[in-house]
Amino acid sequence: MSSSLAEECTPLKRKYDACFNAWFEGYLEPAVSASITPAQRTKFSQEKAAEFEQSCGQVWREYKDCVQRAVKEKGLDVLLDQARVENPLKEPPTDSRS
Amino acid sequence: MHYFSQLYNYDHPWSRVVIGMWHKYPNPHCSHVMSIDVVDRSIDPQTGIIRTERILGCKQKAPIWIVKLFGGSEDAFVREVSFVDPATQTATITSVNLSLSQFATCYESIRYSPSPDGKTTFKQTAEIQARVALWQSAANKLENWLVQRFEQNAHLGKLGFSDVLRQLWESRDQQQSA
Repeated sequence: MSSSLAEECTPLKRKYDACFNAWFEGYLEPAVSASITPAQRTKFSQEKAAEFEQSCGQVWREYKDCVQRAVKEKGLDVLLDQARVENPLKEPPTDSRS
Repeated sequence: MHYFSQLYNYDHPWSRVVIGMWHKYPNPHCSHVMSIDVVDRSIDPQTGIIRTERILGCKQKAPIWIVKLFGGSEDAFVREVSFVDPATQTATITSVNLSLSQFATCYESIRYSPSPDGKTTFKQTAEIQARVALWQSAANKLENWLVQRFEQNAHLGKLGFSDVLRQLWESRDQQQSA
């Protein structure tokens, strides 16, 4: 498993990545086949989002605190904010560019 | 601007490729990627789309002229935003450089989608663009400053030499007439 940009965050990062991967592998296949009706998809997504929060929420917040501090210390927060303003990417891109 | 694109099929079904996405690094073929951090992640409760924002840290052996000119360091960071949409079976990854972004941008887009034969199509495009407008304005400012300095110095040079000439010949003329 890869490292964090800050050594002190690597143990939390690995814990979080392992948690996410375990959840994601249980999510993806059923999510692909859950596309019967939009209502069913929403119900499934809500359940899975809640499950993710329950299993990985705590470690995510600890890791996020650590990495946010490190990002700031390296001066990357300014560059990241700039990139977010230039291209928020809140929605999936519709074609290869936009 | 430079444009790059490639199309490729991976011999694995879409869901396996997308699970594999999170296991790509560390990778001996891509040893320049040193770190990966998730800085934001959300699951849309309506659509089930997972959005992930990450920062990748790379060690780049940049040519010495680049380091000297742009003051870059060995560490380069990239912002990456991905969307995994299980309903449409589409995964997109968009990346842009954070380091040296004031000089140039490398904007990369990747899309994984299922191909009819049970494989996964990978489409990658990249646009590499120097921020010419920014350079142009910096170059214009430098030119203006140089012109101003030159005009000032030319003026001072003229005054200075006029003084020298006057003093030289005034004193000699006085000696001769004496």
